[in-house]
Amino acid sequence: MKKKQIAITLGVMCFILTVAISIQLKTVKNSNSTAAQSFINDGLRDEVLKWKERYDNAYQELLDSEKQLTQVREQATQNNTTANAKQEQIKENNMLLGTVEVKGDGLEITLADNNAAATGLLDPSKVLVHYDDLLQVVNALNNAGAEAISINGQRVITTTAITCEGNVIKVNGEKISSPFIIKAIGSQGLLLGAMTMAGGYLDILEDWGVIVNVKTVDGITVEKYNGIINYKYVKRK
Amino acid sequence: MKKEKKNKIVMTIIIGLVCIVFFAVMFMQFKTIEETNIADIKYMRETELRTAISEWKSKYEDTQKQLDANRKSVQEYRKSIEKNGEASELIDKDLAESNMLLGKTDVVGEGVIVTLNNTPDCTITYFHLLELVNELRYAGAEAISINDARVVTTTEMTQVIDSRMQVSGHRIASPYVIKAIGNQTYLSSTLSLKDSGFIDRYKASGMDVKLEKGNNIKILKYNGDLKVKYMEEVKR
Repeated sequence: MKKKQIAITLGVMCFILTVAISIQLKTVKNSNSTAAQSFINDGLRDEVLKWKERYDNAYQELLDSEKQLTQVREQATQNNTTANAKQEQIKENNMLLGTVEVKGDGLEITLADNNAAATGLLDPSKVLVHYDDLLQVVNALNNAGAEAISINGQRVITTTAITCEGNVIKVNGEKISSPFIIKAIGSQGLLLGAMTMAGGYLDILEDWGVIVNVKTVDGITVEKYNGIINYKYVKRK
Repeated sequence: MKKEKKNKIVMTIIIGLVCIVFFAVMFMQFKTIEETNIADIKYMRETELRTAISEWKSKYEDTQKQLDANRKSVQEYRKSIEKNGEASELIDKDLAESNMLLGKTDVVGEGVIVTLNNTPDCTITYFHLLELVNELRYAGAEAISINDARVVTTTEMTQVIDSRMQVSGHRIASPYVIKAIGNQTYLSSTLSLKDSGFIDRYKASGMDVKLEKGNNIKILKYNGDLKVKYMEEVKR
């Protein structure tokens, strides 16, 4: 009688184990495809890192070569006034193009999403900073004669687009987010006057509930453009 | 009798242990399978990874090209220094290139021409121009002008009176002719994107927008002073 009981118990156990094992084998078979996939993706991820590293190295070398180029230009033109003036002109052009870091008196504007106010509102979009707000501010700064502008470290140059992809704002193709710190160099009086004008764009933004802060800064640094201006379609006439 | 009982107990314990080991192994396996399921997210991102690779790759290639060009220039300057030359040809070439990038020269190339007209339903404002220029820049425009006023980094667009505007210091009025040089296909397809492109968005609100492609568009140089007054270079 007891022997029978033991045999039944063992039998049931064995049955459960077999079923469980076969179920597992099946799932393992199915998940093989995802496992292989993740393997491919790991490969892709490695590749992304590889190219990024190559780019970083090349970019570092490029910065060095730019420095060298400026040096040899100075050296090669030091005995000739006309050539030297041209060399100085190239340096000035680079400041205007945005390919070098610059410093001067200017303005620092901070725009930030007003998250505290957004929670209770029917239309929270009003108290958030949008890409077109940044476009407007940059335009207003240009109107006041700004010589160099950057937004969260991204220098605004002649090919700079400010775009919105979903919830993300991109400047020069790089993602940035609130708070937005806009730095501008130019005549402090003109810039400050234009930006704090009653009925001006910042005034309107503040009325809507966006957090706005404007201050003058002496010797503010505006970052260089961290990319390459590489024209493929324009030709000199 | 006693021995038999002892044997039985030993057997039961052994079977019990084996069972525990079995179950433990099984649970461990179940857990690993669950974990590999997270790979699903990775699977969804494959296209993203591929885009990232091609982006970094093209950035790398552009950088490398520029680097090679810079190195070549440095050598040319060095040669000229060795020969005690004046390097005036080299500097002229570099200055011309730099002026072109800045917008100080007339340029030609393939691209698009967008014409905007005021209609009774829609008066064009400075913000329309601002958005259009931004979209052209996004599509890789290398040179842009509005009614022959060149758009450079510091170009402002303002409303003067009603429908008149000021761009780069020029007073302009409708019709607005915006020329852009860049990849023709990319420029026109970006502007014509359904719903989100500039043309679709503003045609819906009654604006008169025309888009033409051109193979030899001429854009005039910036007609003003580009001078540095308030900033200096930070040397590192």
